[in-house]
Amino acid sequence: MTKRRRLLIAVSLLLMGGYFAYNYMYKDHRDISTETSKFEISAPYLLERFKKDDAESLLNATMSVDGIITQTEEGTVTLDSSVQCQLIDGSKGLVKGNKIVIKGRCIGYDDLFEVVKLDQGTIVK
Amino acid sequence: MFAGVSFLSAQEKYITKAGEILFEASVPSFEEVKARNNGVSAILNPETGEFAALALIKGFRFKVALMEEHFNENYIESSKYPKATFKGIIKEFNISEISEVKKELKVIGVLNLHGVNKELELPLTVSQENDTLLLQLSFILKPEEFDIKIPKIVSSKIAEEVKVTADFSLKQ
Repeated sequence: MTKRRRLLIAVSLLLMGGYFAYNYMYKDHRDISTETSKFEISAPYLLERFKKDDAESLLNATMSVDGIITQTEEGTVTLDSSVQCQLIDGSKGLVKGNKIVIKGRCIGYDDLFEVVKLDQGTIVK
Repeated sequence: MFAGVSFLSAQEKYITKAGEILFEASVPSFEEVKARNNGVSAILNPETGEFAALALIKGFRFKVALMEEHFNENYIESSKYPKATFKGIIKEFNISEISEVKKELKVIGVLNLHGVNKELELPLTVSQENDTLLLQLSFILKPEEFDIKIPKIVSSKIAEEVKVTADFSLKQ
């Protein structure tokens, strides 16, 4: 009887361990679109923060950025020629010159074009 | 030579901010090691063949979230080395010879990855579709050459040779 019980405990521990290990290994990606924005910032100011090298806290953070659409290209939108965001649902229907707010994850500064880049973006309004 | 401002002031350059880089280091029968970045910047000067590209490391997305985390934090250290850049010249580039047919050329330049500079000569194809120049590259990189250390415990699951492909649709 005790042998059986020990076996039962060992098996259930193993199963629990396996469950946690699996959950750790295959945890979900962050869902930026449902995360709350840590920052609300205008596109030119976001660029300025990177140019001043004062942006470490912004990296990887979910943020809302507002600005005027200056370009759309292959599923991305650029605001005020300062911030470019890859959009989850693409850039169809977005019109140059319109003011919008996007939410995305900040992935860094592109010094080739001098723009800050965001990915996993959604349109807030 | 590649100062951002001089690139931006000249209008005749071909550019994109939404190029794609894909890399794969999968080993058969193990979890797929593959990532994609769809926000790669690139500039081509059609007069000189000068070419530059920049990819933000955090922009590489993996299927498995933990793999993406390990890639960023342990292997490529994306907070310390946030970007990969390539700057070079496409040899014998002549815009008037570019057509819808893919032309095979070579680009010579320096790849900066994980803080390490490495001179490379890479084959590429260039073609034109309406007003768009299509640049495609396919090559192999070895993480050890860029001082990227893969822990022993996972090294059997990650290929020593990483296959990289890059696709750029450049417009004026």
